[in-house]
Amino acid sequence: MAQSSNPPTHAQAERVALITGASRGLGYTVAEFLARQRWTLILTARHEVPLLEAVKRLQATGASITAVRGDVTQDRHRHDLIAAVRRIGRLDLLINNASELGASPFPALVGYPLEVLRRVLEVNVVAPLALIHACLPTLKASKGLVVNITSDAARGGYPGWGAYGSSKAALELVSKTLANELRDAGVGVVAVDPGDLRTQMHQDAFPGQDISDRPLPEVTLPFWAWLEGQDPLRVTGQRFEAQGTVWEVPA
Amino acid sequence: MKRQELVFEQPTALFASTPVEMDHGARDAVRLLVTTPSGHQHATFADFPRFLTAGDLLVANESATLAASLESHGPSGTYTLDLSTRYADGLWLAEPRWDPAHPGPMPIQIGEEARVGDATVRYVAPYPGIPRLWFITADRPLEPILERAGVPIHYGYVQKIWPLDSYQSLFSRVPGSAEMPSAARPITPKIREALEVAGVRFASVLLHSGVSSLEIETDTVEAQAVYPEPFQVSEATAKLVNRTREAGHRVVAIGTTVVRALESAWTADGIRPRQGFTRLFIHPGNPVRSVDGLLTGFHDPVTSHLAMLAALIGLPRVMDAYREAIANGYRWHEFGDSHLILRT
Repeated sequence: MAQSSNPPTHAQAERVALITGASRGLGYTVAEFLARQRWTLILTARHEVPLLEAVKRLQATGASITAVRGDVTQDRHRHDLIAAVRRIGRLDLLINNASELGASPFPALVGYPLEVLRRVLEVNVVAPLALIHACLPTLKASKGLVVNITSDAARGGYPGWGAYGSSKAALELVSKTLANELRDAGVGVVAVDPGDLRTQMHQDAFPGQDISDRPLPEVTLPFWAWLEGQDPLRVTGQRFEAQGTVWEVPA
Repeated sequence: MKRQELVFEQPTALFASTPVEMDHGARDAVRLLVTTPSGHQHATFADFPRFLTAGDLLVANESATLAASLESHGPSGTYTLDLSTRYADGLWLAEPRWDPAHPGPMPIQIGEEARVGDATVRYVAPYPGIPRLWFITADRPLEPILERAGVPIHYGYVQKIWPLDSYQSLFSRVPGSAEMPSAARPITPKIREALEVAGVRFASVLLHSGVSSLEIETDTVEAQAVYPEPFQVSEATAKLVNRTREAGHRVVAIGTTVVRALESAWTADGIRPRQGFTRLFIHPGNPVRSVDGLLTGFHDPVTSHLAMLAALIGLPRVMDAYREAIANGYRWHEFGDSHLILRT
């Protein structure tokens, strides 16, 4: 369950982020980058041991970390998360990073097991939206930013990637629509494609293949640093490629 | 392209350490090497206007130089902290150095703290692929500290700290560059007037330059990580560039920063207004489409700037120009001589 440590003591205003899928890979890397800047973090992941190990490492930075183990598709788990958010009373950044790849190796869409497809959509589309619902009052009060992690599979039509890709395509349209719906409330929503990374998830997508040519998730740190400096309402509705050539701010 | 192809022998006697106006009164007293497809011409910068014709467009960088070098006190003692790029409130990319002449690497640990003026900065993470650069976070804004205690970033070949004015050009308007966009330094009001009288027009972009041109460390040039810089190309400039090219005139960038900004705003339909951070790395595998010429200085061996010149006119002509420059004693670096490269 929840555990806390290191209450913030610095002069700078407290900044709070909630990151799903934070025990490893991209989620952990972003969490560590923010923790080293003394953000207050609420982290979730499905598996207890890796999550607790991640928290232990992150607490060594001196940041205040709350970890809540669970599955983002479960109402009860989201309830626990939002309780942690309310206790802190602020939310500047919500990163919907936890994702379900689906069956691996990837079956073609024509023969795709429908119960797996439902699970993919539940984790990648419904759960992020449900978490946004739950966090909305705090996000509004903090004029926060929602980041939904997407993939080039959302646009590719790659054979075998139909379930994951269509879920991410749906998440991108959810992001764009929410951006328009929430602009007046002062909440920004963006989609971020981190690009190919050397993570467990990427390995699961390419079972048995050598993915050592892909960069580690740290390659995206400059993008996150840049995003921190952006006014959520200037960038809302945009889709960014963390490894892309230009991170554009609309005029 | 192999890293090895960008190596050349550079005599250190050719490093300029003094702004030319200190010795010769005027900034346009520097020399000008002009490289065109038909060869090289030797001139002085005062001759610059005669290499352009009516209708040509010069594009300048409006970024002004910050006094971005700070004294810092940490576990390694007193050392230099050069700020490169501001990312967010209190979040900068920076280069710690033993001192201006000694780049390190410093034995910095993640989480290490240092005192800079009345601020405490903390090392957050090294830049991926460029370990000499670090993201740092500060407990208060660093801008007022730069104003009080900062000096212009300088390296070993510049023994004296020159006033910040020496690091600004006629076009400097918006502070934000760690290092001077130096190509415009020799353009005096008189030269600008002569150009305007000759029918040459001016436009501007904004690109805040980070710390000095990157030395390529990977075996292949394309594999080198490059850091992004903030840029802005306005609608007015986009229109001027597009119209100039449609009319068959030349667009000449004043400085490599301008090439990076314009190329970052390039689309199949020409330049469009665009702003943000650009990571674009211009090398021969990534051709230049937006400019017909470049006014620049002379660049160090194995740097990303040299790869950009190779993208512009091909490596053999760059190396030929550099042999010509070395044989004729042209001077290197921000206070050095000028090089006008025209593609046609």
